[in-house]
Amino acid sequence: MAISSDEIRDFVMQALTIMEVDLAEIHEDGTLGPAGADLDSLVLAELVVRVEEQYDIKFTSDEMELMGALTVREFCDLAVEREHVARG
Amino acid sequence: MSGASGAAGAVVTGIGLVGPLGRTVDELYDALCAGRSGVTAPPADHLLAGVVEAAAFGPPIEPSSVLPPVEARVVDRGIVMALRAAEDAVADACLEIGRDVDARRTAVMIGGVGGLATMSEQAVARAGRGRFGISPYLLPGVLPNMAAARIAIKFGARGYSSAVGTACAAGAQSIGEGLRILRAGEADVVLCGCTEEPLFPAFADGFGNARALASGWTDPAQASRPFDRRRNGLVLGEGAGVVVLERPEFARARGARSYGRVLGWGASTDGFHPTAPRPDGEGAADAMRLALRDAGAAPDEVGYVCAHGTSTKAGDAAEASAVLAVFGPHQPPISSLKGATGHLLGVSGVFSAAVSLLGLRRGRLPATRNLDDPDPKCADLDLIRDSPRPADGAKLALVNAFGFGGHNISLVLAA
Repeated sequence: MAISSDEIRDFVMQALTIMEVDLAEIHEDGTLGPAGADLDSLVLAELVVRVEEQYDIKFTSDEMELMGALTVREFCDLAVEREHVARG
Repeated sequence: MSGASGAAGAVVTGIGLVGPLGRTVDELYDALCAGRSGVTAPPADHLLAGVVEAAAFGPPIEPSSVLPPVEARVVDRGIVMALRAAEDAVADACLEIGRDVDARRTAVMIGGVGGLATMSEQAVARAGRGRFGISPYLLPGVLPNMAAARIAIKFGARGYSSAVGTACAAGAQSIGEGLRILRAGEADVVLCGCTEEPLFPAFADGFGNARALASGWTDPAQASRPFDRRRNGLVLGEGAGVVVLERPEFARARGARSYGRVLGWGASTDGFHPTAPRPDGEGAADAMRLALRDAGAAPDEVGYVCAHGTSTKAGDAAEASAVLAVFGPHQPPISSLKGATGHLLGVSGVFSAAVSLLGLRRGRLPATRNLDDPDPKCADLDLIRDSPRPADGAKLALVNAFGFGGHNISLVLAA
């Protein structure tokens, strides 16, 4: 069964909690990077690795560079796309 | 004060120590003078339980008390201890970097082997979960420069910074390099020191399988016994030590309190063997002579030697030969802290320097714990045993620190 963007969002919020990130700064329509949640580059890297492990997907380096400009929702949508590709 | 080289010394204005036997240099010094031991069997819930017979443990420190929570999850305890020691040293010196000293004139030199304990944990995680077991925080959590870097980040220090990796000589060498930086006029203040977290199985087994660890002692507190006939190896300990060194004119101008001065240092290398010292102790003797010359001091001016004395058979005998050769007929009182603290690796040189300064100022020099029956090879030294020795107006102390690989460092200190 295909994974939904909402499920990924829930996983992302859980992961950020485990990572001791302050969730008050995280909004679904805010960006992950400097213009929004302003997550540290290593926090973002760890979040991506956690999502990659959970859903058996891989983001490209080009995508990683743009990650900070994505909103939480856009990031989850991108993960859904990757997951569909991975499942063939 | 000027040495024979015409170079000035440096003033010690703050000390921060984390390790066995007390949270401050005063507590450590009092514990040493009281003959207490910081060596115990590992607690049942420690990774070293069943791995080593004895070790010297520092106090628990919550990583999030010195780092932002997100960064505190994957960081070596060595870095955590270094940050706490630096906080204590800077507070002790009543120094605010950026207010009392230009940030660009503030240097940081912190030695140590790096975060090998965390590297080891992450290697286990990698074996289980592949790349997903590895945190992106691994490198800032383990690289050997990260204690210096994170201290610089915490305090906003922006001058010279580096890490010394000369094993058990690293802490003393950091202090020597700090002196060099101040003499060169490259900084007004240097935070110098070392941090070591060797208390995890892979590292401890490295020492154990090399047959370097003390063994067979019913009472762990008796396992470390420098210069004693029955010594059979060292006891590993964890800790961190940071001292604040300042240019004398700078310290005077800002009215800083002084623990004493670092007058000179000497560095030599055995060029002989990866772990064993030169049996004749000539490398160690060279370092001591160079330090005395750098300080402009004669051997008979030294009133105390704080020995490296790790409680290994070969190391203590070689150091004894070296001290006997350097000081000839005027043997100064000598002791090793390691009977009580275990071997804090590179940190031991910082502890030795701190305790030597207090010993000179307070007029009592701590004894070597567990030195019941001196090894005949060491018996011609003026060993301080059983109870502290009055310093009798001693003005200068010499500290030794020798590292695997044959690195020899000596410091000359004045109260």
